[in-house]
Amino acid sequence: MKLPKFFYFRPKTIEEALATFTAYDGNAVYLAGGTDLIPRMKLGLKKPIAVIDLKDIEELKKVRVEDGKIVIGPLVTLFELSKTPMIKEKFPALFEALILTSCETLQMRGTIGGNILQDTRCLFYNQSEFWRKAKGPCVKTGGERCHVTGAKECHSNYMSDTAPALLSLEASLKLIGIEGEREIPLREIFTGNGVSPLSLRPGEILCQISIPNEVTKGGYEKLRLRGSIDYPLLGIALSGSSEKVKIAIGGIGPGPKVWEGKLEEILSSMQKLSQEIKAIANTILDPLYRKEMIPVLSQRLAKRVFGS
Amino acid sequence: MELIRVQFKVNGEQVDLSVKPHETLLETLRNRLELTGTKEGCGLGSCGACTVLLDGMPVRSCLVLTAEVNGREITTIEGIKQGDKLHPLQEAFVNHGAVQCGFCTPGMLLTAKALLDRNPKPTRSDIIRAISSNICRCTGYKKIIEAIEAVAQKEER
Repeated sequence: MKLPKFFYFRPKTIEEALATFTAYDGNAVYLAGGTDLIPRMKLGLKKPIAVIDLKDIEELKKVRVEDGKIVIGPLVTLFELSKTPMIKEKFPALFEALILTSCETLQMRGTIGGNILQDTRCLFYNQSEFWRKAKGPCVKTGGERCHVTGAKECHSNYMSDTAPALLSLEASLKLIGIEGEREIPLREIFTGNGVSPLSLRPGEILCQISIPNEVTKGGYEKLRLRGSIDYPLLGIALSGSSEKVKIAIGGIGPGPKVWEGKLEEILSSMQKLSQEIKAIANTILDPLYRKEMIPVLSQRLAKRVFGS
Repeated sequence: MELIRVQFKVNGEQVDLSVKPHETLLETLRNRLELTGTKEGCGLGSCGACTVLLDGMPVRSCLVLTAEVNGREITTIEGIKQGDKLHPLQEAFVNHGAVQCGFCTPGMLLTAKALLDRNPKPTRSDIIRAISSNICRCTGYKKIIEAIEAVAQKEER
């Protein structure tokens, strides 16, 4: 499979990367591990004029403790992060999500920042250009109707494993773009709109992911067909105590959902809460099955973490 | 399109090339350097057939731009033999019948080599975890796991 043509840049600083982005008038993409971006470019889903490789920017590659927070550089690979002792000791939900992401070789290449900022996926979107032309465009590729629902809404799925875990841990992001710098809670990055699922401003580069530095209880459960590699068809992260817990649901719909409160109350009203989540026939598993697995996996996870 | 000059080592030999920015490492290895032991399977990073070692770590060469490997060291399947002898993993794959059609074998061997290099005594579950990065459609994995285990159990390699 061939990549489309582009110019390649390898800046050493964030400023240089932003200058390149500006020079190409926004027709540029940032490259980290490339495990999401390169396949999408090969499928013709992304056709940038310039690819800006961030891997020489050293400050984006470190994990450090700072002011009651653990600050993770977005270019740290999923593999490195899973081997960082304090992640395993303090944030079991994140640790489990890391080791359940894709497969080991891709964890060694894929980065935590890229994993959070991955695009949404759909059976009718992640296809070759040839395939998509035959079917006609869907809402996400500029068409009028979703191929599954017929509506003018996109229900593609956000399939990061680590983002639900980080949401359950109240992570925040620091972004630097052409318009300046901002720090936002992770949940604010999700628009809930499958066409453009992330609320990134022009040229923004994710510079830091921060998690409160506290030992938490938690875990992550994942539904997929092949235990060795697949994206989550449903992913559930849980962190906290049974008195105050955060449960984040990923893999279904354009952005994760977070429920917070007493564990028992959330679990008992799960059927009702799940109604906020719309699953459609855009993955290889039946949408009803995926939805029905939300309470099943949540119960299983709660039992594993809290033993009841 | 402006070409990019890259210098890197492949199987111990220095390479100096001018490549297109959108050229993948897989294309460079197969088409320019004629190292056709590295296979293209899916081309999208799912199957692991194109696995090579980048500074000792397994990567899918279909997802790596050649422009990214400037100054780095690549090992392909052609580079793991020791003198005239096969690498112990290659021997073990032959002896355990871990090769059928052979298409996944180069990637599988390099993933296994990287595992043993960083963890000389892996458990069976470490081995399964590592090679779950590579898809084989013939052997059912059992013989592959046994071959890797046999090498790991030998005292010296």
